[in-house]
Amino acid sequence: MPSPIIEVRDLDKRFDRTLALHGVELTIDRGEIVVLLGLSGSGKSTLLRHLDGLETPTSGSVRVLGEEVPRLRGRRLRALRGRVGFVFQQFELVPSLTVLENVLTGSLARLRGPRLGLWSYPRRLKLAALGHLDRVGLLDRAYQRADTLSGGQQQRVAIARALMQEPEILLADEPVASLDPESSEQVMALIREIAMDAGLTVVCSLHQVDLALAWGDRIVGLRGGRLVLDTPTEGLGKAEVMEIYGRVATATAELEAIETELADASSEARPEHAEPLAEGAGR
Amino acid sequence: MTALAPAAGAASVAERAPKHRRSPERIAAGLALVALVVASLFALNSLGISLPSMLESWSNAERFFTRVGTIRFPEPLELVQLTALTLGIVVTGTLFAAICSVPIADLAASNTTPGPGWRAAARFITVFTRALPDVVLAMVFVLLFSLGSLPGILAIGIHSIGMIAKLFADAIEQIDEGPRRAIRAAGGSKLQQFTSGILPQVLPSWVATVLHRNDINLRGSVVLGYVGVAGLGLEMSHAFKSLNYSLGLGIAIVMLALCVLMELISSAVRRAMLHGGRASGGPLAATTAEAAVRRPWTAARVRTTIWSWVTAALLIGAIVVCNIQWGDLVTVWAKIPPVAAQFWPPSFGAYDWTRMSGAMLETIAIALAAAVLTLLASIVIGSLAARNVAPNRGTRAGARFLLVGIRGVPEVILAIVLIVITGLGAQAGTLALAFGGIGLAGKLIADSLEEVKGGPERAITATGASRFQRYAAATLPQGTPAIIGHSFYLLDTNIRAATILGIVGGGGIGYYLLNAGQGSNYGVVTAIVLMILVTVLAVEGLAMWMRRVFR
Repeated sequence: MPSPIIEVRDLDKRFDRTLALHGVELTIDRGEIVVLLGLSGSGKSTLLRHLDGLETPTSGSVRVLGEEVPRLRGRRLRALRGRVGFVFQQFELVPSLTVLENVLTGSLARLRGPRLGLWSYPRRLKLAALGHLDRVGLLDRAYQRADTLSGGQQQRVAIARALMQEPEILLADEPVASLDPESSEQVMALIREIAMDAGLTVVCSLHQVDLALAWGDRIVGLRGGRLVLDTPTEGLGKAEVMEIYGRVATATAELEAIETELADASSEARPEHAEPLAEGAGR
Repeated sequence: MTALAPAAGAASVAERAPKHRRSPERIAAGLALVALVVASLFALNSLGISLPSMLESWSNAERFFTRVGTIRFPEPLELVQLTALTLGIVVTGTLFAAICSVPIADLAASNTTPGPGWRAAARFITVFTRALPDVVLAMVFVLLFSLGSLPGILAIGIHSIGMIAKLFADAIEQIDEGPRRAIRAAGGSKLQQFTSGILPQVLPSWVATVLHRNDINLRGSVVLGYVGVAGLGLEMSHAFKSLNYSLGLGIAIVMLALCVLMELISSAVRRAMLHGGRASGGPLAATTAEAAVRRPWTAARVRTTIWSWVTAALLIGAIVVCNIQWGDLVTVWAKIPPVAAQFWPPSFGAYDWTRMSGAMLETIAIALAAAVLTLLASIVIGSLAARNVAPNRGTRAGARFLLVGIRGVPEVILAIVLIVITGLGAQAGTLALAFGGIGLAGKLIADSLEEVKGGPERAITATGASRFQRYAAATLPQGTPAIIGHSFYLLDTNIRAATILGIVGGGGIGYYLLNAGQGSNYGVVTAIVLMILVTVLAVEGLAMWMRRVFR
């Protein structure tokens, strides 16, 4: 049996007085397409950011690609980040640079020294970047400024930037939360296609249950910083789907009522604790 | 969906990729930028600024001090009188400009102006008064009033209107329109809309601008002394002219201390305004309207009231100290036509066109060379002073402190001291200008870099890039438009400052301006002023174009 590509053990994260993550345990194998499902403030962004070393845990262990992430510093941390692509909700392209140069910034981890301007990147990388732009269907926009593109297009450029890293893992933090339904569909389909083609491991946070069910192979539910659900999406019955809504996607006020109902109806073994204190933590 | 077509071979991608096309205007602006940088390097070269020459000037300075000996100050009583008079003239002049700028800003702001004609006229006044050097105004007014403090007050006042009114108009254009609309809806007149809806919103920025201008005016007042405006500057110029270097340097040191003190006071006032705000008052103890009609004397109200009275007393004191001959304001009108006739027509007198254009070019060279030196230093220091670039807190704090320290040193006084001590002209002036610029340019660059969007920086970090790579890929590209804007602002202020440098011996057109004024060749003064105006307006136009293209 191959060792897991992501392994999180007993992860706690505290921001000042709020507990953003509490006792999170998660194991993901190579090639899995996993959705982190939860309301805003459930801690899914914080968990994702730990996987790329963008946050340091208060306690616990985060192993990614065989490395203990919180222990990594400097060059070794950057090398790990280079192997992990990250797609942000707000795309986070540099607005004043061209689309092509934005994609090229994905190769910085493999280059030495600062780069500014297209001329500062080798031709080989430019060709690769153009190839990735073609892959996401935006080759014709290569020399436009990034801020002249629509939201959906910008997110596709951000995906091309992540591909430029030639990553083994792709992390996506609410990649379609700022997009209209049609662009959302395009972007989600694109991520899945690319992942299948390249054999990428994908961890994508979402807040819509229906989208998560339709898109992911496995759903990991977070609520108030705790893991409350971990299930494959294949062969889920209606009752189980309703339970997912109850566990993950209901507002805090309704929580207790639903919990008592669920306690009776559910035979799920995993214990569940409500942690309303940590509601609203994370970013 | 074509967008999701599978990737084709790399070679065909390169063939299908669009050509990198830029708009002709951007290319032109880029070329202009490159031309300016090349010109600045030529300027540095032609002014002879290099390490060996600086080392040589250092030995000049040593020789100077062995020759001059100690530094002397004026007699205590005389010193107090001179200081009071200088401060009085500066504060009264600034106050005059502050008051005049209110109606002009009201006319110049797009949301308050009665019509496009008014707006154009008001904008013209702001541009024109800013472009007209205060030294030239002082020359004219010294001629009109001969003695007293009025020439200085009016020169400072009229020249300052431009900047205060422009920044005030910008502030008015950025207000929240809601309160004003509410007052209009309630039947308020135009004036009421202004006083109740607009003024409360823009008052803090107006006071901050006025204080800032007051600092600038104090720094500039030295040069006014060279053309005959009473105060410390006049004494200093007399001292240097009679080769009494130890007294001249003593006055320069007093002036320097005064500038630093004023800077500290005005920054303290600005900070108090920003954080203290106005006394809001707690819940009322009174239960009836009769009892509540008197506003209770809370600690905050007492404080506000005391400071208001102190401010008013200081302003009145400043006016009294000036001992203004109010009568002159009436009799002066008769003198205007004959004096104006002396300034017309413009001519080069004994000079020829090549000499004058050469002097103007030298002034431009000083401004360019100083700007490029300042930029090199302030991009480094400014970046280190930005929170998102500095490797650690200590570096940032150190860089910020350095910038504040440099801002405290008035460049004109630095130039005078350098010129006197090293015996160099244009080189000393350029170095003083370059050094003085770092304070403001470095701060502006640091602030702009801190204001860039953090998201792209985080995204670049997430790709595994190093700090320096992140700086080049995300921070600098986002900050570039602002840095270009600041560079042209710097060039703009440098051109104005460089014309003045010549008056204190720093080379360029200023020398001829002072000569023409002292030799009563007023036609030459007019010709030189026209040259300066054209240059300043050209740089301002260039700056506006660059800011628009590199948005």
